[in-house]
Amino acid sequence: MRRVLIANRGEIALRIIRACHEEGLEAVAVHSLPDRGSPHVRAADHAVALGGVAPAENYLDIEKLIAAAKESGADAVHPGYGFLAERAAFADAVVRAGLTWIGPPADAIRAMGDKTEARQRMRAAGVPIVPGGAEPLDGLAQAAPMAQELGYPVMVKAAAGGGGKGMRVVRTEAELGPALEAAGREAAKAFGDPSLYLEKLVERPRHIEIQVLADAYRTVHLGERECSIQRRHQKLVEEAPSIAVDLDLRRRMGAAAVAAAKAVNYRGAGTCEFLVADDGTFYFLEMNTRIQVEHPVTELVYGVDLVREQLRIAGGGAMQVPEGELVPSGWSMECRITSEDPANGFLPDTGTVEFLRAPSGPGVRWDAGIEPGNEITLHYDPMLAKLIVWAEDRPAAIRRMRRALNELIITGVATNQAFHRRLLDDPAFIAGEIDIQFLERRGDLLDAVIPDADASAIAIAAALAESDARGARKPAVAAAGAAGSAQSRWAAEARRDGLQ
Amino acid sequence: MKYFVTIDGQERVVEVDGDQVTLDGATVTGRLDPVPGTPVRQLVLDGNPITFTVEPLGPGRWRVGRGGLAPEVEVLDERLRHIRSLTGGGARHGASGILKAPMPGLVVRVEVEPGQEVAAGAPLVVLEAMKMENQLAAPVAGTVTAVRVRPGATVEKGAVLVEITST
Repeated sequence: MRRVLIANRGEIALRIIRACHEEGLEAVAVHSLPDRGSPHVRAADHAVALGGVAPAENYLDIEKLIAAAKESGADAVHPGYGFLAERAAFADAVVRAGLTWIGPPADAIRAMGDKTEARQRMRAAGVPIVPGGAEPLDGLAQAAPMAQELGYPVMVKAAAGGGGKGMRVVRTEAELGPALEAAGREAAKAFGDPSLYLEKLVERPRHIEIQVLADAYRTVHLGERECSIQRRHQKLVEEAPSIAVDLDLRRRMGAAAVAAAKAVNYRGAGTCEFLVADDGTFYFLEMNTRIQVEHPVTELVYGVDLVREQLRIAGGGAMQVPEGELVPSGWSMECRITSEDPANGFLPDTGTVEFLRAPSGPGVRWDAGIEPGNEITLHYDPMLAKLIVWAEDRPAAIRRMRRALNELIITGVATNQAFHRRLLDDPAFIAGEIDIQFLERRGDLLDAVIPDADASAIAIAAALAESDARGARKPAVAAAGAAGSAQSRWAAEARRDGLQ
Repeated sequence: MKYFVTIDGQERVVEVDGDQVTLDGATVTGRLDPVPGTPVRQLVLDGNPITFTVEPLGPGRWRVGRGGLAPEVEVLDERLRHIRSLTGGGARHGASGILKAPMPGLVVRVEVEPGQEVAAGAPLVVLEAMKMENQLAAPVAGTVTAVRVRPGATVEKGAVLVEITST
C-alpha cells in the first residue's frame, strides 16, 4: 500500500489524509464541483475532480471512483463514513479492481448492513437484541398485528439504514400507516432500499456504543462512547467514557461487541451500538461497519489513532494496540458543529463561510472540513466540524468544552453553537442524567433565546457600530462636496424601505 | 445621539455620547475596536472586553453575533423611528397566514387544497432538505386560499408555499 484514494469529503476526508501522511502514504482526494476549494482537496497529494453537485454524480458514483483510483495510481481506497462506506458493492468493486479496501470484508458489511440478517446472526452469537420482527415488513397488514404483539410504542426502521434516516417512533396504531410510508420513502431515497422492520421501543434508554478493532490475529474492544444526546436520531454530543458504565458493564458490553464482530469475521475498525436501560440491561442495535464520526473521543481516552490502525490492518499488518485489558484515561467530549439554524427550527442553513476562528489551546482538537470561502449547500451533510476536548475528568471536560465553544467564531452560515453552550450549562446534562429522549423533553435547550445580558451587550455593540459608521461617513461626504448629508440619504433609504 | 435598537422584536434605547454609553439608566465607558480584516469587533465596556462579530446588512441594519447566535439588529435614531411609525414599516413582515419555505428544499408532498379549512399547526407541506423530511405546519387557523407549489418542485428559502386567510 502506497497511495490511498479517499472516497469522501469534508472533515473525515481531511482526517484520513492526515493519517495517510503520518503513515508515510500518499493521499488522493476526490471532489464535487462545489467542493473544489475544500481543505481536503488542498491537503491531498493528488486530486481528482469528479464533477457534478449532487452526491449521485460524484461521492456515490462507484464507477467514477474506481476510475479515479486507477488513473491516479492509487492502490487502496478508504471510504470514510456515510456515502459508500457501508455499501458492500463498493467494497467488492474496489477489490475486483485489484485495489486494497480499507474497511471490513464485503461479507461482514453485507451481514451487518442487512439489519434483519444481523439480528439473526447476533441472536445466534448470544448477543442480546431488542425484541422485534426479524423479517422485513410486507406492508401495513402484516405490520399492524406484529406491532400489537410487541406492544406500543414500537420503532419502524430501515433494513438498510443508519444515521436516523428511515426511522420513526410509533406510539399508537393510527400512526403506524403514515410512519411506514414516510420511513419507506426516506429509506428508498437514502439507501436505495425501502425495506423496513419493526422493533420494540425501549423507553428512555441511553445510546452507548463499543468501539472494536480487529486484525488477522485478534479482535479487541476500546471501551464505550456515550451518544445519548441526539436530535431526531442524529447524534450531537458524544463522550468517552460513559457516566453510566462501570468496569463490570464495560467488560460485559465489550465482550458482546467482540462476539458480534467475530460472528461476521470482522476486520478493521467497527462499532457496535447498544441501547442501555436504566438497570444496565443492554441490547445490540446494529454494527456500523466503518469509522464513526465520533471516533476521536475514543482516541483521546485510549491513546490510539483509529484511522492509522485501519491503514495498518488493511495493509496486512497488526494493530499497535497493547495486549491485555485497556483502561480509559480521563474524559473526552465531542460537540458536532452543524449548519442547523436554532433560530429557524434547527433547519439546515446555507451560505458561504465568511470568517472562522477555530478554538485551540490545551486539550482541544478541531476536526473541520471547512475554511472561509467554502460554500455550504443542501447537497451534503450539515456537519461542518467536530470540536473535541480531553481533560482529566468529566467536570473538567465540560469546563474545557465551554471555554473552547467561547473561542469559536463562524460567520456566513448559522450553526448550532449556541445550543451546545446552553447544553453544557444545563444542570441535568452536567449531572449526566441523559438518555436518547433527553432533547425531546428539553426542547427549551433548542430554542434560540438570547440571554438578557447578551441582548444588552448586543444592543450597545450595534448602537456603537451605527454611531461609528455615521461618524466615518460624514467627513467623506463633506470632502466629496456632495449635496445632502449622509443622514438624509439614510432617511430617504428608510422611507423607501418603509413604503415597500 | 439616542438610538432605538430592536433585537428579536424587543426595543432597547441606547444613548451614545462620545465614549459614554447609557442603557437602562446605567452609563458606562464603551468603545468598539475593530480587528482589521475580520468581522470581529471587541466591545470594551468599562475596561471589560466582549467579542462580537458585526456585519453591516444595510442602512440601520446589522448582524451582531455572539456565542453562536447572530440576530439581525435594527438601529434607528429618533427621526427614522418616527418615519417608520408613520409608514407602518416593520409590520410588513407580519402577514402570518403565509407559509414560506424556511429553507431551500424539495417539495415532497402538499397536504392541503385551496378552500380547505385548517387548524393552526396542521401539516401543510412536507419539504425535504439534506435527505430529511420536514413537516411544515399551518401558522394560523383558517381557510387555504392558495397553494403555490406542487410535489417535486424545488423552492428557494422564503418562497411562498401556501396562503391561509385567518378565521
